[in-house]
Amino acid sequence: MKFNSQQATRALILISFSIFLFNLHYTGEINKFINPKYDHLSQSAAIIFLLLFLIQITRVWSSAPVHTYSDCKKSQCCSLGHTHEHGDTPFTTKKLISCAMIVFPLLTGFLLPAKVLDASIANKKGAMITLSGSGNPDSENGEDSRLHNKHINKGTATGEQNVEEPGDDLTTGSENEMRSEEYDKLMMALENSEVIKLNDRIYSSFFEEISTDVNKYKGRKIELTGFVYKEEGFNGNQLVISRFLITHCVADAGIIGFLSEFRDASRLKKDSWINAEGIIGVTTYKGALLPYIKVTNWQEIAEPKKPYLYPITIRHS
Amino acid sequence: MFRMIRSNLLDLTGIAAISAVLLLLSIISSISGTFQLPSSILNLNTIFLSILIESLPFVLIGVLIAGLIQIFVTEEHIRLWLPKNKYLAVTMSCIIGALFPACECGIVPIVRRLVEKGVPVAAGIGFMLTGPLINPIVIASTYMAFGNDIKMAASRMGMGFLIALIAAFSVSLLFKQNQLKPSLLSASHHHSSPLKSSFLDKLWSMLLHSIDEFFDMGKYLIAGAFLAAFVQTYMSAGSLLNIGGGIASSTLVMMGLAFVLSLCSEADAFIGASFSSIFPATPILGFLIFGPMMDLKNTIMMASVFSFKFVISVLAIVICTVFTILMLTYSIL
Repeated sequence: MKFNSQQATRALILISFSIFLFNLHYTGEINKFINPKYDHLSQSAAIIFLLLFLIQITRVWSSAPVHTYSDCKKSQCCSLGHTHEHGDTPFTTKKLISCAMIVFPLLTGFLLPAKVLDASIANKKGAMITLSGSGNPDSENGEDSRLHNKHINKGTATGEQNVEEPGDDLTTGSENEMRSEEYDKLMMALENSEVIKLNDRIYSSFFEEISTDVNKYKGRKIELTGFVYKEEGFNGNQLVISRFLITHCVADAGIIGFLSEFRDASRLKKDSWINAEGIIGVTTYKGALLPYIKVTNWQEIAEPKKPYLYPITIRHS
Repeated sequence: MFRMIRSNLLDLTGIAAISAVLLLLSIISSISGTFQLPSSILNLNTIFLSILIESLPFVLIGVLIAGLIQIFVTEEHIRLWLPKNKYLAVTMSCIIGALFPACECGIVPIVRRLVEKGVPVAAGIGFMLTGPLINPIVIASTYMAFGNDIKMAASRMGMGFLIALIAAFSVSLLFKQNQLKPSLLSASHHHSSPLKSSFLDKLWSMLLHSIDEFFDMGKYLIAGAFLAAFVQTYMSAGSLLNIGGGIASSTLVMMGLAFVLSLCSEADAFIGASFSSIFPATPILGFLIFGPMMDLKNTIMMASVFSFKFVISVLAIVICTVFTILMLTYSIL
């Protein structure tokens, strides 16, 4: 019987990954990383890690000589020494590096708190570029990218609003079939309600709808929540009441929000959360038409428990 | 008696490992409050971990399937189906590659064995190009990463297959010999057939193989996720747009990124999707198609098997084909 420290390290790493994932789910921190829709996928990853750990611990104590031939025989690739590492060969610096690399996310994951994305990330993502859809100087490109963005951000819900020209009946027709009745009802509420209340669930759909046809919603009352984002070139009374839309994980976060105007805007620090009421207007930003909110009433609030938005998935019925 | 000790020892090892981690966890969580890091580091860390957490399930499924194939499917099976005609063989190998859910991490050794056993080198390359790119897991992850939109997944698979075919045919026109390094031909040791072992044995070694595979590619995945998170946190969209202003240059930028990141094809869709707020569809497709076919890690692995000249030629052929096809489709669409 011989204790194999490298195999033991691997076992420790596997169980650490499993505990790391289980812990995230247990504390609910997981939703600071991924869309809750995919929680079950990451839970199954935790279970697979646990399973692999249980298998790996059988290798920690080896009664045979250190290099087990049977492992090697079936893996078909041990003749390419460096491409496949069984963890049985002598310890080298190279191995230390690759081991450190695998341990690295575990260390940062346990040590550092998960952070809710803030205005600086919005800035890096080119918030106003994406909001005004004029990111690409080439007009052909711009259109492509805009169309594409909407596909990404809104998933299946986008179909209808994707159509830039109302005359494009073909696309509208096919996309209409995908919409569920509930979604229709929600969109009807947007058309008819006295005050447009943007709750987390419908935020992105309504945002998309309003942005697509700004003039239709001009003059309507709106109520929304978001964090303060400011960019160079804004006037003192301007800010964006913004939210992050997470399709999958925070790496794919897209920023959505309304350019807003009110006298006290300069007093508000970026990243502070506000609840605001106002009236929708139309403005141009660097040549692009976009909605803006003339805020009539606002208050500062604490960061909500669920800071992110998730796109609506529409059941195919 | 010995057996009993052994099994108890395993239990103990397991319990010891779990408690060690839990102990470490409690110590860490008690001191973690004392750290005061700049918020950009925390942003970087959050994005890095989120990419990792999101891709881990797919990577795990990938290594399990890779293990399954490495153990239960022999190269003989594939070789038996391969036609004698060279061009038919190349087409066939691309199709087999498309059906064979390999990861680019595990495919180079398989290609090497295939070529060693007399499969034309072009057919091997065709297999290598489609294997990691076209398979159910990649289709599923691409579909999900792009907000359940079938368009990206479909274009990735369709155009990827076409590109692989063209590239493999070009290789077959240019290279006749097997292009393996001479030293490998003589020095390689042949393993005995694993047919003798029982099903359970095979299953066991499949799982062990999956663990090895995970540790093999885990580090490339982590490096890729970190680099991608770093780019997101510190490089602004404006400067990225400056590099890739036009459609051609942005496609090249994304292809270069895919090459350097060396991501596993099962997980790269998420990272590709994270760039979709910056780039239009064509550069993203460049990232998604070129990445699984050729990347830094894969090229290094290939150079250890094939002659240097051959590896560079294949690299050049694939780059040209991907770029040309993408530009053609962009102007048509």
